[in-house]
Amino acid sequence: MASLSAISRAEILSLYRSLLRTARQFCDYNIREYTKRRIIDAFCENRNLSDPSTISAAFSDGKAQLEVAKRQATVYSLYAPKIKSVMETNSFSSVSN
Amino acid sequence: MALRAVLLRQLRVPVQTLALAGCKSQPWSFSSCIRLMSSHDDHLSKEQVIGRVLDVVKSFPKVDPSRVTPDVHFQKDLGLDSLDNVEIIMAIEEEFKLEIPDKEAVKIDSCNLAIEYVYNHPMAA
Repeated sequence: MASLSAISRAEILSLYRSLLRTARQFCDYNIREYTKRRIIDAFCENRNLSDPSTISAAFSDGKAQLEVAKRQATVYSLYAPKIKSVMETNSFSSVSN
Repeated sequence: MALRAVLLRQLRVPVQTLALAGCKSQPWSFSSCIRLMSSHDDHLSKEQVIGRVLDVVKSFPKVDPSRVTPDVHFQKDLGLDSLDNVEIIMAIEEEFKLEIPDKEAVKIDSCNLAIEYVYNHPMAA
C-alpha cells in the first residue's frame, strides 16, 4: 500500500470497503466471518506490492471476487437459515430453543 | 387554587403517558415542551458515544487498549495502517448501525473525528 501505481490507493481502499460491506450481507455466521477474515488476510498479504502489473492483477482479482461475493450473498439470502447460529445470540439470552 | 391544581393534574397526566409512549408532537406539554418538541430526544449523549467508540477501538485486535484515548490518531498514535482504518470504521458502522459513505469515511482517521461524526449523525443508535 505504500506505492502509488496506475491504480490509486483510494480505489484499493474503496474495493476493500465494498468487499467488507458485501461480507456483512451474508446470512450465515460462518460464511460471514470467513469472508471477513479472508478479505483482511488477502489485503494484508498484498500490501507491500510495488510492481504495477502485480498490483493491477491483484486488484482485478479482488474485483472479480467482489462480484462473486455479491452474487453469493443474494443467493444465500434466498435460502436463509431459520435458526441463527449460537454465536449470534446475545449473552444471557434465553436458554430455551 | 385547588381548581387550578386539579386542572393541572388533569392536563399533566396525558402528557406523561404520551411521553412514555414516545410521542413527540405534544403541543400542550408546557412542563417539558422543549425536550418533547426536539427531534433529538432519543439521541445518544456525548459520553455514551465516546464510551462506545473507545470500546470498539479497544476491542480491535491490533490495538493496545491502554493507549486508546479520545484524542488518539489511528495511524500516528496506534501504528495502524489505512486498511486497519477502514476496518475500524466498519466496526463503528456496525456498532451504531450507520452507513458511512466512502467520502466521509476517508476523512475519519482519529478517534476525535469518529466521535464527532457519530455524535452528529441523526441516525446513530
